[in-house]
Amino acid sequence: MTPAIEMKGITKDFASTRVRANDHVDFSVEPGEVHALVGENGAGKTTLMSILYGLIKPDSGEIFIDSQKIRIDHPNDAIQHGIGMVHQHFKLVPSFTVAQNILLGMEPTQAGLLNQQQENELVAALAEKYNLPVDPTARVRDLPVGMQQRVEILKVLERKAKILILDEPTAVLTPQEVNELVTVIRGLSRLGYTVIFITHKLVEVMSVADRVSVMRGGKMIGTKKVSETSIPELARMMVGREVLLRVKKKEMQRGDVVLEARDISISDVNGLAAISHVSFQVHRGEIVGIAGVSGNGQTELVEAISGMNSLDGGEILFKGKIIDEASVGERRDMGMAHIPEDRMVVGLNLQTTLDENLIVSRYDDSQFSRYGFLLMKTISEFAEKVVRAFSIAAARPGEGIATLSGGNLQKVVVGRELSGDPAFIIANQPTRGLDVGSIEFVHKTLVEERDKGAGILLVSVELDEVMALSDRILVLYRGRIQGELDAATATEEEVGILMAGGNLQDLKYAQRADQQELRS
Amino acid sequence: MEGLFSVFTVELLNSGIRLATPILLAALGGAICNQAGVLNLALESKMLLGAFVGILAAYYLGNSYGGLLVAMVAGGLLGLLFAFLYHKYKVDLVILAIAFNLIIVELTVFVMRALFGNVGSWSDPSIVRIPDIEIPFIKDIPLLGPILSGYNIIVYFSWFAVIVMFIYLYRMPGGRHLRAVGENKSAAETVGINAILLQTLALVVSGALAALGGAFLSIGHLKLFTRNMSNGRGWIAIAAAMFGVNHPVGVFLASLFFGFADAFSVRVQNVTELPPNLVKLLPNVATLLVLIIIALRTKVALSMARRRFRAQLRAEEAAKPAEEPV
Ligand SMILES: Nc1ncnc2c1ncn2[C@@H]1O[C@H](COP(=O)(O)OP(=O)(O)OP(=O)(O)O)[C@@H](O)[C@H]1O
Ligand SMILES: [Mg+2]
Repeated sequence: MTPAIEMKGITKDFASTRVRANDHVDFSVEPGEVHALVGENGAGKTTLMSILYGLIKPDSGEIFIDSQKIRIDHPNDAIQHGIGMVHQHFKLVPSFTVAQNILLGMEPTQAGLLNQQQENELVAALAEKYNLPVDPTARVRDLPVGMQQRVEILKVLERKAKILILDEPTAVLTPQEVNELVTVIRGLSRLGYTVIFITHKLVEVMSVADRVSVMRGGKMIGTKKVSETSIPELARMMVGREVLLRVKKKEMQRGDVVLEARDISISDVNGLAAISHVSFQVHRGEIVGIAGVSGNGQTELVEAISGMNSLDGGEILFKGKIIDEASVGERRDMGMAHIPEDRMVVGLNLQTTLDENLIVSRYDDSQFSRYGFLLMKTISEFAEKVVRAFSIAAARPGEGIATLSGGNLQKVVVGRELSGDPAFIIANQPTRGLDVGSIEFVHKTLVEERDKGAGILLVSVELDEVMALSDRILVLYRGRIQGELDAATATEEEVGILMAGGNLQDLKYAQRADQQELRS
Repeated sequence: MEGLFSVFTVELLNSGIRLATPILLAALGGAICNQAGVLNLALESKMLLGAFVGILAAYYLGNSYGGLLVAMVAGGLLGLLFAFLYHKYKVDLVILAIAFNLIIVELTVFVMRALFGNVGSWSDPSIVRIPDIEIPFIKDIPLLGPILSGYNIIVYFSWFAVIVMFIYLYRMPGGRHLRAVGENKSAAETVGINAILLQTLALVVSGALAALGGAFLSIGHLKLFTRNMSNGRGWIAIAAAMFGVNHPVGVFLASLFFGFADAFSVRVQNVTELPPNLVKLLPNVATLLVLIIIALRTKVALSMARRRFRAQLRAEEAAKPAEEPV
């Protein structure tokens, strides 16, 4: 069979960062297959796909579609050749409706004027055809992420793409949305569409792809049939060494209570309860996991504990003291650390250097400044030390961090937050968008801190992560704690039913009913 | 007190509409730039340029309508220069605006002195003010007639521009693309929309409109150019664009508000004993209030929501019977 796409000897150097993002990469995709592309953060996956889509010009290499050599200089060329891309960060206009977004740039007109109703009908028909229901009149900014992604996919299909590139489509989705997406991808492949999808989650590769290609350090390491490989083998190919997929933990040494939330309530922007009468404790030496589908109050809870937002009811105690009035800085001085959810916006300043990012939380410490002046030499020595301790490979003290890959950026955040021996750590989605190697690193580091005696509040929408790291699991549902489980004995089923708003009683009844059915 | 009430007359409405016109034109220009994602803080200098070039061209051409056209072309060219420097050399638009706001004031004075040797202001008897036009039929409508009719062509054009801009932005593909560029440039570019072209268009149109607003001052309203004639109207236009949430109709209403505030203060000066310097501040106070309202709008909504939530929480607690110790 002639391949649908063939890329040969693709090389791309980024002069600004002195990185060879693609190094003589060969890549080919069969028509009608689902082809996964995996690799560490910064391996060059997005670069390769951007070249295919005409967003980046390669330094050398050739692209063939159905054995025809073609040039792709601009996304318009790619679209002409039936290639469509759903980007890692969505390319949607938030205040526009679904229909306006899908038809953007190709609106039908009558006498030069737009016709809203005709647009809505067109999009409704398109959604019907591919069995991807959407409301054409809804505004994109009001839609959940999974729905926005569906809009992106429809946008690509409307442009008559036969080859779909999905760049990390599942990174921002809830488990349920991931399942829906998998169904969509399978459906498209059955209709004869070719799908290339980039992911860090090897479980997804195994469940949806026909073949998988692995990249590392800009090079193509190899392509395998999914039926002939395994998750450990893929992880090894990605990272170049054996990877611990599940972190090893010692027996918990539980100490005193370090953080306590007493009946706290927090309002959302509309004056409704985001967090409602929540109480819990975190002890030293334990990891408490907060599980839950995103949007159930996690953000507000974390903002209140870290001091970024105030409480509306109840109180928070840190080391036995009420800290409701304490600022972020005061809480940090008392020994609180915070790995925020969004490293690009809250966690780091991408405009400045590694050094400044590493000391930004304690620049007025006597260690780093005197009489209002920064001690540059000490700071850069400190940066050096953190870079070594956390093996932030690509970062150099004194240089910018804007072009570091996701994994390395997260290492910078983790390095800053954990280098001061904190007593309590909030880790909010600490591994979002990271590759298996980086996840292993973050997990290992968090467990080490726990063993050193820090209390950790892990907030994550990844069920696996919560299950693997926590000692105790609290499930957050609509701003309340739906249930508490001992991580040693909890099953995914139990956590799952609590996350969906059910309770454990229901599960027991369901299981009993199953057994009775089996018996009869 | 009778003096104060006597200011509310048809003449007040007329002069409010006249005074709103330069602000409206510049504010429409500001709004289209905001919609396209290119902040235009140079409305002030574009107005001043229009005022100066407009009266000069009217003098040399011997035709004031010709002066208007030349002023618009000059403003458009300045917008084009901005777009070129911004897209080609990545010059920051705010810095460009500051630079031109400073340069144009001095440049107009310099050219005025070089040509005519005057110091503060210049005029010539040969210059004709743009004439007012009565619209047939409309002028005879009772009550509304005198309010809607009897202005010069620039005023009518500014109303026309509101309608055209509304249709373009909200009913035509080009305008929708322009708004897409302003809100998410890369989203627009990945579907093949030429963002640079649309942003350039916005800057050029904005320059032409602001310059026409300026020409209204020098040959539409008076027939005279004075140093720094725009006198902050470009900045008020920026406030009007924000106040009108960059929507042509909103901008129209916001500009009228500022125009009336201006006219009102002039009237009050004529009929009351209040210190004139204080009354002259009125439009500026109005602007300040509007800016504060704009800044507080979302903040207040948020804190109100929060206060409601806290009250509800307290009510809940009060309603709950005292808990029995277990
Ligand atoms: N525009 C750019 N300028 C300079 N360097 C870049 C640019 N884009 C990417 N790079 C560098 O090229 C390398 C490959 O980046 P790329 O985004 O392709 O990685 P990736 O495999 O998609 O990673 P991730 O899984 O984190 O998305 C990285 O080292 C990155 O820092
Ligand atoms: Mg990527």
